Amino acid sequence: MKPHLQIRAVDKTFNRAGKASVEALRGIDLSIAEGEFVSIVGASGSGKSTLLRIIDGLLAPTAGSVLVDGQLVRRPGADRAMVFQQDSLLPWKTVTENVGYGLTLAHKPKEEVARIAQRFVDLTGLRGFEGHYPHQLSGGMRQRVNVARALAVDPRILLLDEPFAALDAQTREIMQTELLSIWQSTRKTVLLITHQIDEAVFLSDRVVVFSARPGQVREEVTVDLPRPRTLALKREPAFVALVDHIWKLIEAEVRAGVEQGA
Amino acid sequence: MRKIYDFLEQDTRAAGATRVLISTAFILIIWQLVSLVVTNRLLLVPPLEVATALVREFQQGAMATNAWATVTAVVSSFIVSVMIGVAIGLALASSRFLSLTGGPVLSALNSVPIIALAPLFVAWLGLGFASKFVLVLLVAVFPVVVTTEAGLRATDKPLIEAAQSFNASRWQIFTTVTFPYALPFIVSGVRVAWARALVGIVVAEFFGSFAGFGFAIMSASQTFDTARVLGYVILLGAMGLIGSVAFAALERRLAPWRLE
Ligand SMILES: Nc1ncnc2c1ncn2[C@@H]1O[C@H](COP(=O)(O)OP(=O)(O)OP(=O)(O)O)[C@@H](O)[C@H]1O
Ligand SMILES: [Mg+2]
Repeated sequence: MKPHLQIRAVDKTFNRAGKASVEALRGIDLSIAEGEFVSIVGASGSGKSTLLRIIDGLLAPTAGSVLVDGQLVRRPGADRAMVFQQDSLLPWKTVTENVGYGLTLAHKPKEEVARIAQRFVDLTGLRGFEGHYPHQLSGGMRQRVNVARALAVDPRILLLDEPFAALDAQTREIMQTELLSIWQSTRKTVLLITHQIDEAVFLSDRVVVFSARPGQVREEVTVDLPRPRTLALKREPAFVALVDHIWKLIEAEVRAGVEQGA
Repeated sequence: MRKIYDFLEQDTRAAGATRVLISTAFILIIWQLVSLVVTNRLLLVPPLEVATALVREFQQGAMATNAWATVTAVVSSFIVSVMIGVAIGLALASSRFLSLTGGPVLSALNSVPIIALAPLFVAWLGLGFASKFVLVLLVAVFPVVVTTEAGLRATDKPLIEAAQSFNASRWQIFTTVTFPYALPFIVSGVRVAWARALVGIVVAEFFGSFAGFGFAIMSASQTFDTARVLGYVILLGAMGLIGSVAFAALERRLAPWRLE
């Protein structure tokens, strides 16, 4: 299959005036096919968010390039949408307005924005909360709004930066299955960052394991577990073995990082 | 008793009005009691006499003249200072150069007691509207400048990044993120500006005018008419209170998420 999203030899070093520079990423090469679900796992500070920002076009790489269908990424574009690690809903806008925010910025007509926003409000199970403000929602619902906002602009590539990190274990599992069903029905290319290895294995076709700083691709693990997947999969020996394998890779990295004094 | 507390803690207009009424009544009672002890009427007059003096001023038309002079000057100058303050705040927040070079000058000016320059302004601009206008402007503009700049700079980075990720233009980021975020900050600055504007107008009128609440207070105190002095002070207090309550309510409306 022809690669849809291609990351070629990306380096990123942060230079800050008067402070030591930080090498966040070194020589990242990744190819992701259309409709593929790929996760990135790695120690804290290994440059995962930085890579996602570069792919989204928010940051320029120090060296290397990102291509979508052969086109060089220079800035954010309609073909990509991002769900951020930090809370980034506009507190003075309602659920519907937040979900439609990307469309409003793209100067879509009001009725169309409302119609599309409603569709994704329904899809993410937020019906009945359309007029609520973010501070009136639970953490889980806020993350649904974040996901809905990204989906509403109909991107071909969905970039998710630890979208469920702040949620409790139960809500998290529910959100995982919902994300899977949304992915199955929309067939978007998904790149997900997570700290939960079982989440990565459960959702993905492929898990990319990052080494500690500077972030490098330590290993790409193909997950050939059958789909559609249900939560019962998490108890299968094949699943457990994969989680265990990835866990060992990361553990070695974290240990090495600690020994380096990082 | 519980029920009364529950009612008073509500965020409704009725509860707010009741709170104000109760505290007003409380002050009036204490005032009345104190004036039973302090019987020198040059020092203190009981509430009822102050009310009578106010009614008399009203009937003679002096109050209307004074109110017109004070309110036109303070309101027009206040509005202009809010506009100028927001404009300067925007300029400072959008340009690093301006904020680095202009910021220190502004904070130096802000710490000068501009009120003390009132006699000078009167000498430069004469008695009447112009000197009042300029003095009020100078005292009221700073809180608006400071809060506008701070509010615009305080905007959560993730909110801006999310807008950028949807390809928002700089103008869209300003109108949909930074300005709405700064608005409640600005209103809190406006609230302080209103209180300062009232002080400014009174002082300006002390030194140079022939009408206005400040002028009335000055001339009444020169004739030892304590009832009239207190009457006009109460009117000024009411103007301050109304402004403060209104702007606080606006602030809450604009940023309900900051309460929780
Ligand atoms: N804007 C920036 N300026 C300077 N350094 C930065 C900047 N952004 C990130 N870094 C540094 O780059 C490194 C990688 O950061 P990044 O946020 O990408 O890590 P991460 O893998 O997402 O970590 P986490 O799992 O904790 O979210 C860190 O050491 C961080 O301090
Ligand atoms: Mg991160």
